[in-house]
Amino acid sequence: MDSAPTSLDPVRASTLYANQLVVNLYDTLYAYKYLQRPYKLRPNLAAAMPKISPDGLTYSIPVKKGVYFADDPAFPGGKGRELTAGDFVYSLKRHFDPSTRPGGAWLWQGRIVGLDEWKQAGSDYSQEVPGLRAIDSHLVQLTLQRPYPQLVDTLALGFSGVVPREAVEYYGREFSINPVGSGPFRLVSYDSSRAVLVPQENYRREPVDLEYEGYDPVTQSRYGVALIDGRIPPFVDRLEVNFIKEGSARWSSFTKSNEIQYAGLPNEQVERVLASIDPVTLKPEYAEKYHMKTALEAGFVYSTFNMDFPEFGYNDNPERARRNHALRCAMIRGFDWESRNESWYSGIGEVFPGIIPPVVPEFDPGLARDSVTYDPEGARALLAEHGWNAESLPVLTYGTTPGPTSRLFFEQFRAWMMRIGYPKDKIILKTYATFGDIVKAWRNSELPFISKGWGLDYPDAENTLQLFYGPNASPGSNDGNYRNPEYDELYRRAGVMLPSPERTELYRRMNQMMIDDCVAITGLSRVGITLWHRNVIALPDRNFVGGRFMYYVDVLEPGAPELEALR
Amino acid sequence: MEVLQYIVRKLIAGIPLVLGVTLISFVLIVYFGPDKTYELLGKNPTAEEIAEIRSQLGYDQPFTTRYLDYLREVIRLEFGNSESTDEKVSSILARTIPTSLALAIPGFILGNLLGVMLALVAAYFRGYWIDKFIMGFAAVGMSISFLIAIIGFQILLSSSDGLDLLPVRGWDTSTPLQYIRYVTVPTLATVFVALGYNTRFYRAVIVEEMTRDHVRTARAFGVPPAQLFYRNILKNSMIPIVTRIMFSIPVIVISGSLLLESYFGIPGVGKVTYDAIVTGDQPILKAVVVLTAVLFVVAQLLADICYRIVDPRVSLK
Repeated sequence: MDSAPTSLDPVRASTLYANQLVVNLYDTLYAYKYLQRPYKLRPNLAAAMPKISPDGLTYSIPVKKGVYFADDPAFPGGKGRELTAGDFVYSLKRHFDPSTRPGGAWLWQGRIVGLDEWKQAGSDYSQEVPGLRAIDSHLVQLTLQRPYPQLVDTLALGFSGVVPREAVEYYGREFSINPVGSGPFRLVSYDSSRAVLVPQENYRREPVDLEYEGYDPVTQSRYGVALIDGRIPPFVDRLEVNFIKEGSARWSSFTKSNEIQYAGLPNEQVERVLASIDPVTLKPEYAEKYHMKTALEAGFVYSTFNMDFPEFGYNDNPERARRNHALRCAMIRGFDWESRNESWYSGIGEVFPGIIPPVVPEFDPGLARDSVTYDPEGARALLAEHGWNAESLPVLTYGTTPGPTSRLFFEQFRAWMMRIGYPKDKIILKTYATFGDIVKAWRNSELPFISKGWGLDYPDAENTLQLFYGPNASPGSNDGNYRNPEYDELYRRAGVMLPSPERTELYRRMNQMMIDDCVAITGLSRVGITLWHRNVIALPDRNFVGGRFMYYVDVLEPGAPELEALR
Repeated sequence: MEVLQYIVRKLIAGIPLVLGVTLISFVLIVYFGPDKTYELLGKNPTAEEIAEIRSQLGYDQPFTTRYLDYLREVIRLEFGNSESTDEKVSSILARTIPTSLALAIPGFILGNLLGVMLALVAAYFRGYWIDKFIMGFAAVGMSISFLIAIIGFQILLSSSDGLDLLPVRGWDTSTPLQYIRYVTVPTLATVFVALGYNTRFYRAVIVEEMTRDHVRTARAFGVPPAQLFYRNILKNSMIPIVTRIMFSIPVIVISGSLLLESYFGIPGVGKVTYDAIVTGDQPILKAVVVLTAVLFVVAQLLADICYRIVDPRVSLK
């Protein structure tokens, strides 16, 4: 991985890096099937999919029996005890206990009956929450304030990993580096460079049913994953996860035969390693040694105008508001997405209009692409039509973090804006010392223009549409402070609907509103290229599944007959 | 007894220095350091959650209260837990400082030892081709950035594109052989870069000493070159050399080397300190500041004692 997680406590599994480890150390009630795409949930710690009441408000979830936590000094005699429904209830309550500094409470805030009130009353674990109950030792019941179709997805996230109370109390704050879960692995060592995991001795023995996991022989047989069918994972004796930020070090280590065996392809090696970009293929000398997979990210990069800035966004003067709209639309037309894709993402990223990215089922491939089509002449004409000129254009402060890449992003953006008539000295760079500082500026609505990336938490466009939902305005995730009553109403209506063509239609209407209002310059989903040694049997995927694919990884001896058969 | 009294006097005199350093550093950390709040928050925080985190981090307390808390921590030598990982600061430092020391010491010793030796040779043959060759080599070492040296040695000695003799990254001190395998490439990179600076500095010191009257007189009296170099030049050059070495020690102990640790995957204190600076992990920063200040006081003390050893004319009064 290119960065180290700071905490292995599920309540703080906010990052992709933390999730990679957390889902291997802890159990979640549900998980995404290993191989099926589009993503499909299946029971994991749960014994079955939830039984949902007709009104969509009550979820009854049976928990598997005979699941044990890893042995640990936190338990009497050091022996891991059986996991119960009460552990899940305790684990979810922790997100509403401020002392744990939770990162995932927003997933369940205002959703589960009594949970917010439990927090207001002081987060007393001895107090029951009416909507979050262990009916018996192996049955969980969740009662919602209103239907929440994404609830089961949230129960597959690292955030919902089940922890034992004894371990949390035994380790105190250091529970974050002493994980005790019922997942397939347990932690042996962990520092800023590496985490070492070994199979967890008490983990349940469940053979892989490849067909159930969504195996597609046509597209997946070449990776050898059929070899794990019917066998009981985890298959490796030791799992080392190295945290390597530096591309050159990662590549040097990967290309040795005895160090890391799976890595993302660093940008600086793309030309050396790839034979072609479209489609992505490896040069023969690398294809001989490595497997390769490209994956569209579950997320996207975009920029949004901060509508609370009267210079660009909402303005009490209707005429100025109309001119601001034209200004934003002109800037959107002046943004060259294809060039950005070529410059920074090897030209393999996927540019799309709006905020419903290609990775979710609600994506509309037929949507008009005007908002992502570079049209500097049209932009200049639009500005002139609405009376904008070099003197009247407002100063735009562009916030970024230090570093050559950030700086070049800015210079590229400024060059495009200059082509549509923006004076150079009216686009000002403001550099924030750290990522935390720029996030603070976003949250406090201090910047008129925000460039960022968003990683989806689950495969449902609701997760990106909430980025423009009015009540999520600063300090929430709606950094653009977009407030459109019609959009908000549709969001609320769609929010209680199960996946259906009607809901997709609502999503797409919201998407179109956001495009028509020229709120954001969006977007591009990056494509990651991962490589792994040929003797490693795996099909890696970091999206949603987190690091769960590592549970299924097997490593064969180089030259094993099974490998020859795969060639 | 005189030395003991001197040590006590110097340590007492070091207290205002440590206090001054802590105060200035704390002002910088509080008013100019990164705000940790926003890294700890979830994706869609509420104003209430922001206030909760700020309160837990102590950001809502007056500066004086926070500084007094800091001083109490210094007295108790207990800095609490990291705000990033929640691990105890004392555990982090106890785990990472020995690693950084084990990583840095071979390069430090070799870099200084070879620097003095090359400087002696260069100074002895001042103006000749050998002097020019050594100084040219030193200039090359100084001109090449540490990062380039690291990547160069890594590719040359460790990667499959090079000799593939040693590990690209990792750290294992379980046996002396393993330690040598993992420390060799970082040490070579360190020595390659440090040697240039050391050699030039030590040569300048030695050349200056060689021009002194007593050296010229000794040479005129026919003192053999080896004896002249050892007794009359090297010994008298030791004060600046000791100063340079002693004041490098705190940097080695507490700073580690961020670049070495990052590129070679070594879990030392350099990376921990860097991460603490860029993320505003105040408990770690507070501990590192105090430790560095104390180490500088101790280094100054040791340097003074060493001056006395190498030059008995130096008084400890």
